[in-house]
Formats: sequence, C-alpha cells, structure tokens
Amino acid sequence: MLNESRIDPKIIEEVLKFSKNVIDAPKFVSAPDEINLEVTPHKVVQEIDKTRLLHYKPVIETKHKTPLLISYALINRFHILDIHPEKSWVRNLLEQGFEVYMLDWGTPTSMDKYLDFDDYVNGYLDSSIEFIKNKSSTEKISLQGYCTGATIATAYTALHPENVKNYIATAPVIDGWKDTTVISNLAKHMDADKMVDTIGNMPPEFMYYCFSVLKPFEQGIEKYIKFFKNIDDKKFVDNFLRVEKWLGDTPPIPGELFKQWIKDIYQENLLIQNKMYVADQLIDLKKIDMPMFTQVAVGDHLVSPECSMPLHYAVGSTDKTLKIYPTGHVGMIASSLSQKKVLPEMGKWLAERS
Amino acid sequence: MSSKPQALTSIGPMRAFAANSKKIAVELIEINENLVGFNQYMTEYYKQLSNTWGIAQKKVNLKAPKIPQDAEQIEAVKRIWIDIFDNDFTELFDSKKFGNNYGNLVSKELELTKHWNNITNVILQSVNLPSKEEIDEVYKEIHSLKKRVSKLELELKKEKRKNAK
Repeated sequence: MLNESRIDPKIIEEVLKFSKNVIDAPKFVSAPDEINLEVTPHKVVQEIDKTRLLHYKPVIETKHKTPLLISYALINRFHILDIHPEKSWVRNLLEQGFEVYMLDWGTPTSMDKYLDFDDYVNGYLDSSIEFIKNKSSTEKISLQGYCTGATIATAYTALHPENVKNYIATAPVIDGWKDTTVISNLAKHMDADKMVDTIGNMPPEFMYYCFSVLKPFEQGIEKYIKFFKNIDDKKFVDNFLRVEKWLGDTPPIPGELFKQWIKDIYQENLLIQNKMYVADQLIDLKKIDMPMFTQVAVGDHLVSPECSMPLHYAVGSTDKTLKIYPTGHVGMIASSLSQKKVLPEMGKWLAERS
Repeated sequence: MSSKPQALTSIGPMRAFAANSKKIAVELIEINENLVGFNQYMTEYYKQLSNTWGIAQKKVNLKAPKIPQDAEQIEAVKRIWIDIFDNDFTELFDSKKFGNNYGNLVSKELELTKHWNNITNVILQSVNLPSKEEIDEVYKEIHSLKKRVSKLELELKKEKRKNAK
C-alpha cells in the first residue's frame, strides 16, 4: 500500500493564485516615476540654496490666525506627511482650518558637506519663520517638528522662543542614551569623524542599510508577500507603491550636520543635558516656555518613546501635553489612526491656542 | 654604472613620476594591510548573522509543527518563523558586540576608501588638477561666504520689519 501524503487543496489554490499574481504584477504596478507624491496643491514661496518653503492652498476658509510651519525630518522626504489624500497629515490640518507651511530641506550635494546645525537652525528654519511672519503679519507662529526635524525645531525653539507661539514635537530625537533602537546602537559605535572626513556627506546607502536591519523579516519578506497577495486591490497597491517610493528616496545628510548629530545626540547625549551648542549658542531646553504638545508612538522602532519623552519633562513650559499612541513611527503620521485620533487631538489642542 | 638608471628617475620630468609611483606603491601596500583587518571584521559580521540564523531556526523547529497540514498551519508556521527571526536578529543588531564589530567594519571600509582617495589625488595632481583637499577648501570657503551673506540678508529683513512697524 502506498503511503499517500494529503495536500490541502487550499494550499495548491493559494500557491497557484500567488504565482499568477507575481506574473500579473507588471500589469498593475506603475513605474516609480509615474507616482506623484505631492498630492496637496501648494506654492513654493521661498527658496534658499536647496531648501524650499511650501505654502499649502487652503481647502476651507482659514479659521486660525497663527500659521503652522512643519519642520520635516532629514531622512527621506516630506512626502510622507502628504502621502495620499485620505492619509495626508497636511490635508487634514487644512481641513481643520489651519494655514500650513512645510520646509523641504532638498537634496544636498558634495558641495554642501559643510552645512551644519547652525545653517539648519539659524539659517534655513529662521529664514522660513521670518518669511511666514512677514507674510501673515504675525509676531509668532506655531511650529511642528517630526523625527530629526523635531530636533532641529527643538533647538530653534530654545534659541528663538520669541518667534514660536506653540510647539509640537512629533517623535523627536532628544535623549540618545535612552534610545533603545537598532539605529541608536549603530550610531553609538560609529566613527562619524572618519566617515565625514573620508566621504563628505552621509550617503543614502547607509540609511538604506539602517532601514534593512529594522524588523528585517517582517519588512523584507512578509511585506512583499502581502503585496503580491493583494496585487489586484488597486487601493492597496497604490498605497504600497507610494510608501515604497518614499522609502527609496533618501537624500544624503550634510557631513558636518551628521557629525554633530551623531556625536552630540547619540554618543555624548548633550541636548537633553542642556550642554549642546549650535554655533556658539548654548541650547537650554528650559527656555522652551510656550505651550508644547509632544506626540510619541509606543511601537516606534526608529525613535523609541524613551528617546522622545524626556523633552516633555525637560522644557520650561507649564502648559504642556504628552500623548502616547499605540502605533509606529510612520503610523503616527500617515495612517487611519493618525486621521481619526492623532490629528484631531493635535488640531483641537492647537486651535485652542491659535 | 648601475646607479645611473636610478639617478635618472630623480631628476628632470622623471622625478615626479618616481615620487608618484612611490606614493601609489605605499598606498597599495597599506590597502593590503587594511584588507586583512577588513576581512576579519567581515568574517565576524557573517559569523554573527549565521549563528543567529541557526539559533532562530532551532527555536522555530521546536515551536512549529513538523509538517504543516493545511493553509492555516502554513500561515501559523510563517508567523512563528517571522516573529522568532525578527526578535533574534533585532536582539543581535541591538547588541554591543554587533555594534562594535559593525563600527570597526565600516571604519576599515572607510580606511580603504581613504587610500583610494589618496591614489586618486596623486593622479589628479600629476595632471595638474585640484586634489580632493583643494576642492574641499573651495567648498569650505563658499560655505563660509554663503553663510555670511545669508545671515546679513536675514538681519536686514528683520531690521526692515522692525522699522516698518
């Protein structure tokens, strides 16, 4: 008698369907350059070097007097905050009646290797805020920083508190020693001086390596299995490709800025100890005395909550709120949770103070 | 007599060629020395990855059923496999031993790049082109000038706004 092994017909069906989906994929998938990530209409109102200041077109009548400037991270691009009309951080804020600006840091080249914290904080960010103040005839604006953009915004707010009415820090990189992520471990063991002296700017390839070691099996295998399983779901494919295009588009980080970042934030942890200097100015977090709203995500594996939360306790503000969300780094800004919970809560807080 | 061909290389147009050849030879020798260190760290890097893989796979074997019988079981095995592998590899990437070795590996790679840059500089200078250091000096000067101009422009704008009030 033959010992027959029984195979569940469902398995064969699934394997066949999966194979068909892989073959059909090119029919459903657009080329990366066909995907336009800038979804909400905007105007470029100021350009300095490679940076651009974007002003978003209102979708309803502006309800709040104080404009909001978003300082996006230096890793990848600002598009994640406007990745899809249904998940757009920017659009949601416009729908809540805010006037929104975004600072796009652009793509530094070898020539920009000497750009440092001072250029970003007292140069590009200060110039943008000065422009917005002039344009909207206000003395102060609301500032939001995301991820590494929040570190720059935090330094700015501590040095120029007179220009910031409300400060929102979303997953800010603050306390490098408390950061429990893989990125922080790599940063702590890096010879930043040698890297910058030898190759100038921090190359995007290094960031891709860092991304690849974050949940490598979930992100490197499961994610693509899901993609092929859902290849005929137009909405899923569209969302997937937008995020993939965003993930694969990382600009280099200027050498001097990167060097100070690694040494001052991750290796010596100067910012949270009020010992960090930008040019010759000491950053004292106690000088942040305006209303402040901090947002962190429990599942953040890029900037752990332990790294962000100390900011809430270190500032001088009396009117301060800390919100913790059950999501990840990107989930906090581009997901249905961000649309249904994170943004309405932030909008309500900001509206009361704008 | 025998010293004459050597003497030839130390005078006239051959002098630069001899000096450059020596510099390049020294860089190549140092590249070889660095390669030894680089290979050691690289071997350790793959050893760490392969050990972690082996341990994670053993954990999966203990937890997952021998032969999945249906689609649900395949899905369950896949989930167990991904969770265990992600946990074990994250633990590795988060460890001091990985951080140290990876830092050293990158450092050795940078040293190799530096030697390559030095060789390129010798070649660039031999054809009267600026070296990397000279270009960097120009970049630094441009950066410093741009910074000064930007600060002055910003100050001027702020002053104008103050006066307009």
